[in-house]
Amino acid sequence: MSKTFARLIGAACLVLAGISFFGQARASGALTVDIHGPGQRTVNMVVLPQRAVDGRQAAPLAADLDRELRRDLSLLPFLRLMPVSELLGGDPSKGVEASDIDFKPLSLARADLVMTAGWSGDEVQVRVFETFGGRRVIGKAYAEVTAKTVPRVADRVCSLLLEALTGKKGFFESPIAFVRKTGSGKEIYKVLPQGRDLEQVTRAGGYNLGPDWSKDGRYIVFSHLGDDRHTLGLWDGRSGEVSFKAFAGNTVISPAFASDGEIAVTLDLTGAPDIYLLDRRLEPVKPLVRSWAIDVSPSFDRAGRKMAFTSGRVGSPQIFLLEIETGLIQRVTFEGSYNTNPCLSPDGRYVVFSRSTNGGHRIFLHDLATGAERQLTFGPGSDEDPAFGPDGYFVAFSSSREGGYKIYLTTRHGDDPVRVDTGRGQAFAPAWGVAAPDH
Amino acid sequence: MKLRLLSGSLVLVCLSLLLGAGCAKKRTGTMPTGASKVEVVEEERQWQTPPAKEDRAIEERRLAEESRLARERERQAAEKAVADMIHFSFDSYELTAESREVLQAKAGIMKSQPAMRMVVEGYCDERGTEEYNLALGERRARAAYEFLILLGVAPERLSIVSFGEERPLDPGNNETAWAMNRRDEFRVSE
Repeated sequence: MSKTFARLIGAACLVLAGISFFGQARASGALTVDIHGPGQRTVNMVVLPQRAVDGRQAAPLAADLDRELRRDLSLLPFLRLMPVSELLGGDPSKGVEASDIDFKPLSLARADLVMTAGWSGDEVQVRVFETFGGRRVIGKAYAEVTAKTVPRVADRVCSLLLEALTGKKGFFESPIAFVRKTGSGKEIYKVLPQGRDLEQVTRAGGYNLGPDWSKDGRYIVFSHLGDDRHTLGLWDGRSGEVSFKAFAGNTVISPAFASDGEIAVTLDLTGAPDIYLLDRRLEPVKPLVRSWAIDVSPSFDRAGRKMAFTSGRVGSPQIFLLEIETGLIQRVTFEGSYNTNPCLSPDGRYVVFSRSTNGGHRIFLHDLATGAERQLTFGPGSDEDPAFGPDGYFVAFSSSREGGYKIYLTTRHGDDPVRVDTGRGQAFAPAWGVAAPDH
Repeated sequence: MKLRLLSGSLVLVCLSLLLGAGCAKKRTGTMPTGASKVEVVEEERQWQTPPAKEDRAIEERRLAEESRLARERERQAAEKAVADMIHFSFDSYELTAESREVLQAKAGIMKSQPAMRMVVEGYCDERGTEEYNLALGERRARAAYEFLILLGVAPERLSIVSFGEERPLDPGNNETAWAMNRRDEFRVSE
């Protein structure tokens, strides 16, 4: 995060500190979205035309901010953006504060929320109100806004709105690492879910596959396929450097962070691909699961208590769950003959995975508490590699539904998938990290 | 490789032309009419001048080149046999009877070429998912690796690497392509 932007936020807090009573005002009747379903609902929102609040003409960056806000908001599956033209009498506001807005036509049109943005020079104030009662849901000001920082302002506003509605933080600041096909191989990239800050992480040549983020968002671990052997790749977001480590047996598949500093990975040290835990020096400490068959694709909850994985021990690939403390292993999937790519939700309650169906792979959600299973995606093509967002609400996956593989977002409820803009070339294997505090 | 072979044979052709020019036909004496018989002493004569220093060097190079080419041919034949792939059923790493025969031939070559080292590469079709396929490719490479060891090839001369569903031989999306892509490839390494 740039210094300028840190200053921006600082300024934002100062400017609106006086009128911010959001914490106290969040009464029991406040509008919230239950993202745990089944009470999930659609929220209708109107974004009013941005205006100048200092009597001058509207700021030149108003159109940019409006576009970026709408782009971000379009990713929220429970939010429907209503055009102002649906309101009786058009724009019902004279200013950007609650007292300037006539909420009646908004309520009549069944709008739940209304957003205003007011510019004063290079400072913009953004507010969202509930139309019923006029309670302010969010209110922030951003100073020294430039064309370059407009997208960040939009991301901040939308992150705050999402947090206010769902209690989940940082969605628009949580990067997705993924694999992109290059000319002759595959490299690791990262991008924000709204398609911003696309960046190439590796330039290692060969095939760089299966990225996973450390829980603090600093590292990405992945496997590198060279001509003669696999190696474990580790990218440090602080230095931007990538290091590689080889292991006996030449096989390094599906590394994943168990908790900070500890990595679980499939190695072949004794003649079968088993999952090992590595210490901080990346030396194998002990096998986590071993069998005569393939054991691959470990995925941990945030606390590092449980690990989901794929195993061929019953004759076909199925999802299993290891309880780290007791070593107890239970089988999770009993339907289908090819269940792979498990990802545990951060709270450890759900597993998403891909199941091979007649039409291709599809993403399924398994509730570990009830055993209930639900299909989240329906193709066409093949839907693979599901990954929970840090909030446990969004699910990223790769799909060939539009031809070549690209990354899409859905939710735990199976909302209509939205494509993530990952630039040119096919994209695979998304992994969601948290926003690193240092960059 | 082809280029080297070509230039090698060019050298050979030039050499034989040179040598051919140096050989003269044997001449025997004929008696003119009326002449008394003169004993003609026929002696074996090496008409060819002894090779100059340079020519000896050329000859040595020729011999070296010849044996190099012979080794090269042998190596190529071995590499060709080593390059024979083996194929697998869907989600399987079991060696078929045919695969075992192919591997037996490779084991034979490995024994006759004691310096040869080999990499076994395991591959899958695109229908599975990447990570499981990487492990399956490893199983496929290891199946061949273990069979070769069983046939007496020293494990130090073999190594394995899985490419999962990367580098398909046939990019098609049909059973023929998939069957082609579920394979082990074998590569000679130095």
